[in-house]
Amino acid sequence: MSTLRELQSGFRAAMLGGDAGAAAAAVQSDGLGVDARLAIYRHHVLTSLTTALEATFPVVVRLVDPRFFRYAADRFVREHPPTGPCLSEYGAALPDFLARFEPSRHLAYLPDVARLEWAMNVALHAPDAAPVPPEALREPAPLALHPSLTLLQSPWPIDTIWHASQPEAGDDTVDLDAGGVHLQIWRSTDDVVFRRLSAAAFAFHRALAHTACLDAAAQAALSIAPDADLPSLIRDLLADQALVHRPAP
Amino acid sequence: MNSRVAGGAPNGSGIGLRSPHVDEIGSTRPDVGWLEVHAENYMGGGPGIRALERIRRDHPVSIHGVGLSLGSAEGLDDRHLERLAALVERLEPALVSEHLSWSVTGGAYLNHLLPLPYTLEPLALVSRHVDRVQQRLGRQVLIENPSSYLRFTDSPIPGSDFLIALARRTGCGLLFDVNNVYVSCRNLGGDAAAYLDAVDPAAVGEIHLAGHAVNEADGHTVLIDDHGSRVTQAVWDLYGHALTRFGPVPTLIEWDTDVPALAVLLEEAARAAAMLRIAEREGGDVHAA
Repeated sequence: MSTLRELQSGFRAAMLGGDAGAAAAAVQSDGLGVDARLAIYRHHVLTSLTTALEATFPVVVRLVDPRFFRYAADRFVREHPPTGPCLSEYGAALPDFLARFEPSRHLAYLPDVARLEWAMNVALHAPDAAPVPPEALREPAPLALHPSLTLLQSPWPIDTIWHASQPEAGDDTVDLDAGGVHLQIWRSTDDVVFRRLSAAAFAFHRALAHTACLDAAAQAALSIAPDADLPSLIRDLLADQALVHRPAP
Repeated sequence: MNSRVAGGAPNGSGIGLRSPHVDEIGSTRPDVGWLEVHAENYMGGGPGIRALERIRRDHPVSIHGVGLSLGSAEGLDDRHLERLAALVERLEPALVSEHLSWSVTGGAYLNHLLPLPYTLEPLALVSRHVDRVQQRLGRQVLIENPSSYLRFTDSPIPGSDFLIALARRTGCGLLFDVNNVYVSCRNLGGDAAAYLDAVDPAAVGEIHLAGHAVNEADGHTVLIDDHGSRVTQAVWDLYGHALTRFGPVPTLIEWDTDVPALAVLLEEAARAAAMLRIAEREGGDVHAA
């Protein structure tokens, strides 16, 4: 007789497409066969997690065709099952998986589109944080970017691809050679939004995120573009409500 | 069937709060006794939890966890318990519930309420975990009977006895899912009414009702607890039996797949409320219409 731990480990294999023998040995065979009974559970595990991924990556679903997405997601779920029960937190590894996944490797932009969708998902569920009001900048204090904010750089025009893949979009084609983007993705009040940044603004935000210091961020922006308009970089962050006080450690 | 005390005891029948209905419930404040949410959908920040905090001012809320994995041999996930505790503190729900099942092994969360063999080892394990959860939350939790599609070769304790023993050892209450009992008994052979009669009425703090799918597999009929349709007549009949035995216990309509218009859920809740009123008035036999 197996211990509960062994039984559960055997169940995991049976659910995720491994050897179902250990789980099957612990199950009574009467009427419907053991394999068919285990398949009921496996079907729920795989389809419910695939459905969760479809909800998080709707543009990827449309780009590759829903049937292909379910095929890829099924493989992903077996290799990378969730590590926690909040399904809105599941899928961080899907972009890297898609980059390695042979059947979709020819879609070179796909992983970065998935990264954009993941950043939007993170933004939607990120903790709330009060934006810094402009007058507060007179006092030096450690700053941070809003917890919902992700900076994403891609050699592909992934924002254009995203817009062209919305259900209400027209039939305009996307010029994949239009060049890369620096994106800021974040939640503004209740809405998840993204916009392009200049390379200098991107460097400014990234340095601010790492150092919490406006002077260091300014240095980073000037190293990219010596004529960078620093006051406007700060004004944009304030207008985006994307600047917050760094939380106490 | 209405009670408008936020955080107060749930009264009558309620419905599971599903995202397509959030705006409508917030603006129309429908006449429904209470609302239940899945804990794991509200553990982040953002507009979801803020909308729920607004709704909570109009309706008592129940928190139904699906992710604690009380039957995991590798132990409870402390971080998840802390997140649940923070949510309970934030929402001050009328009820908190979880499942007699497991989902986590080897650090993987399998997103299903997987079955436990009913032997002494899992009974001791789940009891320890329920003790810890109740201690951390500082309140009683209700534990739900799962639906089953298989029976373990070594599982000598009847499911109802396992739950009763768990309630006795930990002081937890029971969330009695009538549809799950029906589905399990149809799938595995068993007398649903006898299962119900074995349960101590004093332990039952909540009832769940939901629809199920009827599938064919290898020439056998299998009922799948998919929460994707109206409650069937057979489950309403069993619910009448449950109310006759348990009295007017707060009852929830669950609907998770192919979620219909809010009005359909409210109709189902009204049907449960009518039966609850009979149970309350007559304190005797309740029959489904």
